[in-house]
Amino acid sequence: MSKVIAVISGKGGVGKTTTTANIGLGIAMQMKQCVVVDFDIGQRNLDMILGLENRVVYDMIQVMDGEATLEQALIRSKANRNLYFLPASQTKDKSVLDSEKISKMLMELRKKFEYVILDAPAGIESGFEHTIEFADAAIIVVNPEVSSIRDSDRAIGILDSKSQKAKIGHEVEKMLIINRIDPEMVQKGEMLEADDILEILGVELFGMVPEDKGVIDASNQGQPIILNKKSDAGKAYRRIAKRICGIKVPVERPKVKRKGLVGKLKGIFS
Amino acid sequence: MFSWFKKKKSAKIAKDRLQIAIMSDRAASDFPFMEELKRDIIEVIKKYKGVSNIEIKKASDKDIEAISIEVVLE
Repeated sequence: MSKVIAVISGKGGVGKTTTTANIGLGIAMQMKQCVVVDFDIGQRNLDMILGLENRVVYDMIQVMDGEATLEQALIRSKANRNLYFLPASQTKDKSVLDSEKISKMLMELRKKFEYVILDAPAGIESGFEHTIEFADAAIIVVNPEVSSIRDSDRAIGILDSKSQKAKIGHEVEKMLIINRIDPEMVQKGEMLEADDILEILGVELFGMVPEDKGVIDASNQGQPIILNKKSDAGKAYRRIAKRICGIKVPVERPKVKRKGLVGKLKGIFS
Repeated sequence: MFSWFKKKKSAKIAKDRLQIAIMSDRAASDFPFMEELKRDIIEVIKKYKGVSNIEIKKASDKDIEAISIEVVLE
């Protein structure tokens, strides 16, 4: 009954790892057992975003090679006890990934967790293909910007042709998240609208996350923004996590903030 | 005088450019037999009339997949 979801983007730097961390935490907040796995071999970063970098002892590759058990390598989140993290290897490179070993490890994770979230590496090379290989679903993270959208289309193309599910004729469920939306720019016609992105990519909208300066502040501290109840991006991630857990919540469009007197004063004193 | 009113919004430009770029990306990636297809069509038409140029374009969205073939005769 468990679900393996790969978080993909094509282009790097669009907020894929941030999205993985927040969604994982959001699912855990829904009282579901969840594990987030860093598939970005050689460029480990999910540990930093989750604030767990000092607790890494063993990594995923060591588990696959039988040098460590899953129990030894899994790290339990301090922020939420339902969330576990499996780190990537920082010293090895992507070529060590092997389909059979990945399949075996995911099978073990499926037994323990309801949701297995895989943070894919950027690009569409072998590391990416291995991440999507056994996924039931994919979260596609894009920014409303031409290079991100174009690259995501190529990643989707590979998802549709190379994943095991696609190979046996089933469609891989796709969930599109548009990240770092600036509503003011959209209003002025200087940034692509969600509807246009959906039309271009031909996938369904799953969530919209506004640009939020708090995201960097959150990653500085290793405290994903979803833990900040006041943050707009945090709220968006909460809704996305609920939706992943099957709760019907409408997709909310980021709104232009009207700066009244109160807002201006807040601006001065913040 | 009011030319700035007519200026195309950059989001619209982005959409138009993306549609074209992605269309050709998709054609190249999942239509590896495009060149062969071109050769075959030329062979067939050449039986009746010479061909000076042929262009095949692929378009698709989530519901349909289509190709359009333009053959320029000599």
